[in-house]
Amino acid sequence: MERNGKATSDSKESQWVRLQSTDGFSYLVKRKVAEASGTVRNMLDSEAGGYSEALTGVCEITERGIIVEKLVEYMSFKTYYETVNTKDDVPVKEFMERIPPEIVLELLLAADYQEM
Amino acid sequence: MAAPRRGRPKIMVPRKHGPEIDIAKTWEELSKNIREIQNHNAANLSFEENHRYAYNMVLYKHGEILYNGVRTLVIENLDTLARDEIVPAFPTGMKDPNMQNDEEELLLKALRKVWDDHRSNMVRLGQILKYMDRTYIKPAGVPDTNDLGLQLFLSHIICSPIKEHLVSAILNQVRHERDGDVIHRSTVKGCVDVFLSLEVDRDGTTVYKRDLEPVFLKESQDFYEMEGERLLNSCDAPQFLRLAEERFEAEQSRTNHYLSSQTTQPLLQILKDRILTPHIDTVISKENSGLDVMIDNNKFDDLSRLFRLCRMMSKGMQVLQSALKRSIIRRGKAINHISLGDDLAEAEENEAKTKGKSNTRNTNLGIQPAITWVQDVLEVKDKFDLVWTTSFQNNREVEIALNDAFGTFVNLNEKCSEFISLFIDDHLKRGIKGKSELEVEAILDKTITIFRFISEKDVFERYYKGHLAKRLLYGRSVSDDAEHNMLTKLKVESGVQFTQKMEGMFNDMRISADTTKSYLEHVSKTTAPEIELNVTVMTSNAWPMASNSAACILPPQMDKACKSFEQFYHSKHSGRRLDWQLALGNADVHVRFKDKLHELNVSTMALVILLLFEHLGDDEKLAYIDIREATRIEDVELKRQLQSLACAKFKILLKYPASRNVDPEDTFTFNSNFSCSMRKIKVGTVSNKVENKEERKETRERVEEERRYQTDACIVRIMKDRKHMKHNDLITQVTAQLTSKFLPEPMVIKKRIEHLIEVSLFN
Repeated sequence: MERNGKATSDSKESQWVRLQSTDGFSYLVKRKVAEASGTVRNMLDSEAGGYSEALTGVCEITERGIIVEKLVEYMSFKTYYETVNTKDDVPVKEFMERIPPEIVLELLLAADYQEM
Repeated sequence: MAAPRRGRPKIMVPRKHGPEIDIAKTWEELSKNIREIQNHNAANLSFEENHRYAYNMVLYKHGEILYNGVRTLVIENLDTLARDEIVPAFPTGMKDPNMQNDEEELLLKALRKVWDDHRSNMVRLGQILKYMDRTYIKPAGVPDTNDLGLQLFLSHIICSPIKEHLVSAILNQVRHERDGDVIHRSTVKGCVDVFLSLEVDRDGTTVYKRDLEPVFLKESQDFYEMEGERLLNSCDAPQFLRLAEERFEAEQSRTNHYLSSQTTQPLLQILKDRILTPHIDTVISKENSGLDVMIDNNKFDDLSRLFRLCRMMSKGMQVLQSALKRSIIRRGKAINHISLGDDLAEAEENEAKTKGKSNTRNTNLGIQPAITWVQDVLEVKDKFDLVWTTSFQNNREVEIALNDAFGTFVNLNEKCSEFISLFIDDHLKRGIKGKSELEVEAILDKTITIFRFISEKDVFERYYKGHLAKRLLYGRSVSDDAEHNMLTKLKVESGVQFTQKMEGMFNDMRISADTTKSYLEHVSKTTAPEIELNVTVMTSNAWPMASNSAACILPPQMDKACKSFEQFYHSKHSGRRLDWQLALGNADVHVRFKDKLHELNVSTMALVILLLFEHLGDDEKLAYIDIREATRIEDVELKRQLQSLACAKFKILLKYPASRNVDPEDTFTFNSNFSCSMRKIKVGTVSNKVENKEERKETRERVEEERRYQTDACIVRIMKDRKHMKHNDLITQVTAQLTSKFLPEPMVIKKRIEHLIEVSLFN
């Protein structure tokens, strides 16, 4: 586990943060990607906020691993396609098909909580 | 994310977040943590945990408890901060200004500290209460965390008595700075910024606008009211201006640095209204340091400052303009007075002349007032032009005022036209001597600027023509180029018509030269008279000479020469009449004295007189009456000629009894003992001088006459064009057309119209 709390803003984009699920999975994600979630962004805000997560770079996501994984997948998806001009180029459908129906409701709540 | 309807695997109902949420417990935890946040211990808290507390509360419909709870916590915190940080910093009413200063600074700093603290708390709270802000705020119709924070700050900190203390602290700080003390601008700015960012109502009126600015402006007004008086009484003009400008700069920098730019304009207006507008008149006219003195001493910096300040005021330019006018006219009047003083001296001298003073000396003195006057005017003009370019930024309005003032005083001197013409005459005559052509050119250029101010251009035309004629006839011009240059300048200023007759004069001179040449050729082939004749034929209406001037009986040899030319001329141009202007001619004559032979250059009249002595013996005398009898020269002219022959520097004739004046009882002999080192002698120069009273009256009359003709012509021209016209319209039209030459009076125009009706030109 790294401590990135004191990192300068220059390296912010390239920082890695750890997203941990309740059942012990953890995902190392680029900070920029993780900030696709408004909640995570606030959580990591070390300037105005400065909560413990911002100092440690470890975010507890109170979801099961399977949910966190999907969230991370969506974060990457969103960040990746963020710069695309036309909406048509974004393979939303394919992404939706990748969501197992049994976690849909849980994922919905998690996404709402995560503000993404 | 749409939930698929037909899923093979069974859709799992998401687990609840914590089987049964105990709201009271959750709030207890959360409020404890919020207090921790307010105590700057956020780093020990888990964001996720608190965010989830708030999320749960909102999710399970306890948003109101959360919202009100947070509100109460914030209020509690603000009250604590006010009690612990701000109230202890209240001023204790110290008398010592330094201590006061420190206390105020402490208070402002405390406010800023509380503000910063509160703001960062609210940001942190905002982060964990994000879900509340997103979902609870709108339906509940309450402000979000951020706005709530601002509102609570406004109602719990910016209130009595803290607000009053803050405002008075800021005002006192400003006052300290105005009094010359050093304050920490950043501290004041810190507090003012808080005021600026707090809005008290929906249209965005800030605390600054509501609570600080009006008091500040009032305070400033009172301060500058006093300051204006103080400066006026304790400073001289340049100092006043400098300090006033410093105040302007200081206030500007004040508003820029630690107040708000929205205050700049009203504040500067107060400065203008309290310092400049009421006092500028007094300052400008301050004795020993006001505008006049600044101009006298070339205080360009002070003048620039004055200009800058005046330009800021709405009435400033007018004040400056009229002050400049006053200054110029005062100077101008002084110059006019000097020239008038000389006029008196001249009158005395005229009297003295009749008692027997030398004529030539007087004529030399004669043009001096004119030269001095023009030079003085030019000097003043130069001075103001310099001030205008260096200090007044070539401002148009100022220029208009300057020209106006110059016009006024130049025209106050009724001799201005004559003086200027004489001045030009003097330079075109003597130009080369002492001054280079370029210098003369520059001087004449400047003279034109004065010429521009003359309103009665026709008077100038008359004088200039007279002087030009003399220059041309006596061959005194420095060069044709210079003359033509001058003429071009006048033409540029006043149009072709103005110089038409003068150009005619040049034309005559040229034609005359040709005529003389061919005449000389002609006589060399036929019988040449004993006298070599050089004739200038002048078109009578172009030249300003009286048509029938002093005549006299010519001695036979001269008469013969004249006749010979007349004959020649008539043979070339039949039907023209030639009048001899003997008074304008001059002659070279060889005279044998006992000592040696001299070549005398005398006027034609003088030659006529001298010739009377030609066959007389050394001791034979001619009485004044005899001379008059023999020549039939008019008394005035004869006296003048005899005076220049017998009483001037070169005494060609001897007068009995010897005196400076010629009396009808005097007798004359030829001075054969005359001796002089020079071979060529010029006798009895007819020099220009300022006209005396009668001459001026005469010129005036001629000008008036000329004007009558011009007015008549103008009226007829207009009426021919329009056939019918109202009287007033006609007068306006005539005035408009004649203004370039002189200022016609409506009464005169009216008279001329009446006159024209009388001679029944129209009805």
